Amino acid sequence: MKNKITQNLGFFLLFFSIITTLFFLGAIIYFISVNGLKVINWEFLTQVPRKGMTEGGIAPAIVGTFYLTFGAILFSLPLGLACAIYLCEYSPKSYVVNIIRMSINNLAGVPSVVFGLFGLTVFVKFFGFGVSILSGSLTLGIMVLPQIISASQEALLAVPQSYREASLALGATHWQTTKKMVVPAALPGILTGVILSIGRVAGETAPILFTAATYYTRGYPDSVFSEVMALPYHIYALMTEGTHPEKQTEIAYGCSLVLLILVLLVSTLAIVLRQRQRGEL
Amino acid sequence: MKELSKSRINTGKIVALLLLVMLICFSMPVNSFSADNSITITGSTTVLPIAQNTAEVFMDRNPDVNISVQGGGSGVGIASLIDGTCDIADASRPIKDKELEKAVSRGIDPTANVIAMDGIAVIVHPSNTATALTEKQLKDIYTGKISDWSQAGGSGGKIVVISRDSASGTFETFNKLALDKVRVRPDALMQASNKAVATIVAKTPGAIGYVGLGYLSSNVKALFIDGVKPSNETVLTGDYVLARPLFMYTNGKPTGYVKAFFDFVLSEEGQKMVENLGFVGLK
Repeated sequence: MKNKITQNLGFFLLFFSIITTLFFLGAIIYFISVNGLKVINWEFLTQVPRKGMTEGGIAPAIVGTFYLTFGAILFSLPLGLACAIYLCEYSPKSYVVNIIRMSINNLAGVPSVVFGLFGLTVFVKFFGFGVSILSGSLTLGIMVLPQIISASQEALLAVPQSYREASLALGATHWQTTKKMVVPAALPGILTGVILSIGRVAGETAPILFTAATYYTRGYPDSVFSEVMALPYHIYALMTEGTHPEKQTEIAYGCSLVLLILVLLVSTLAIVLRQRQRGEL
Repeated sequence: MKELSKSRINTGKIVALLLLVMLICFSMPVNSFSADNSITITGSTTVLPIAQNTAEVFMDRNPDVNISVQGGGSGVGIASLIDGTCDIADASRPIKDKELEKAVSRGIDPTANVIAMDGIAVIVHPSNTATALTEKQLKDIYTGKISDWSQAGGSGGKIVVISRDSASGTFETFNKLALDKVRVRPDALMQASNKAVATIVAKTPGAIGYVGLGYLSSNVKALFIDGVKPSNETVLTGDYVLARPLFMYTNGKPTGYVKAFFDFVLSEEGQKMVENLGFVGLK
């Protein structure tokens, strides 16, 4: 009887935790929506800011965030995947590899603003890319690299050993096995890593603060060396440097909602993709 | 399974190709991309609204020019001018000797262009009998040493102190020019805009507040500070103490599109916009 009570209490606590978590998620979506929906309309999404950033839209910021995210994934996915494949499939199980693993995990713990400063010193100044999409994408890419590596690693490790053995037994080389068996089988897991990275990259402010973002520009980027407006930075700038708080706070909420929806859309798309891949396997 | 792996190879090729493109960008010579029809403005958040608003109208007139405006602060602006990462550095203070030395050592010639004056008027309710304050009295009021109008040339009554929130450029200016960066008394009412300060002061008999000179109206009374009346003239002559010039630094004299932009900012229309933003125009 006593055990039964303890069990019920345990279940209740677990259930309560779930409710609390969902409550916060719901609260975020609710408050951002209530405040943001007021300003969102077609013009808001397609126009440039006007009248001292109090009217018009946020189109340059949406475009900028898209470019930055795309660039970051473009840079970090191949590199991260290659690292993960090497670590899982090819590297000898040695002391050195353990140190490499540990370093990558440590890289994941570096605060994002530190990546921002690093990007400023290395990409903006040393390489001379200036404040640009390129600098920002590379900085963001490096920031999510550990995340992509560990997600890919986990996905690769989850592929049953029997797949590899079967392939090798049929006379395939190590490379053929990796390319045709292991990586395709791990793809859904790798995609999950990319999904999470996209969400993180799109929402980060600190890394692009010094490397890519600008307060106001009207033109759309014409090369990777253009500086861009970006949604997270736009929110930050409106709240800290704006001169018309009444109107600009509303726009900031609108931006937040757009950012939230964009990230959710990308995630949903990738989740659907992953489910389909799983189905095919 | 076969289908899948086939499609994967193709995506692999595409990714490799895109990576190659990225690498080519990497190896591009550094200066080949600074197209001269784009202007980058960075610096003081006080000057930011002037830069942003004038840039907006300037781009309407000159669609082939793209101006990018960033904040960050005067120090950031001057540092990027020295690094060559911006064309115009906004600053609410003159360049420091150290910065000048660094600039010279890098072959940069920071040239000061005054584009407006920042003047702050101290305002009270029109019925208030006080007409003038000394700088010291003003400081004492805002830091909490004086809290009754009888100590400040008025006819008595509690002083209601109104200030701007610390994110505002006006606050920054006032704090520096009038308070020597001492903290404002904690019970001061913080308002988010010049307009809000003016509105509250106009409604509250014991209130004191400060606004950019552009926000003065007949609803409030501007006090003389150290015997000088705040006006565009006294700000421009330098007699009024709560004022400072606002700069846009360039490397050497402005040329090309940058010069065209300055011509616009300093034109009658540009200066009109400056005044609409609460600053003092140069004409």
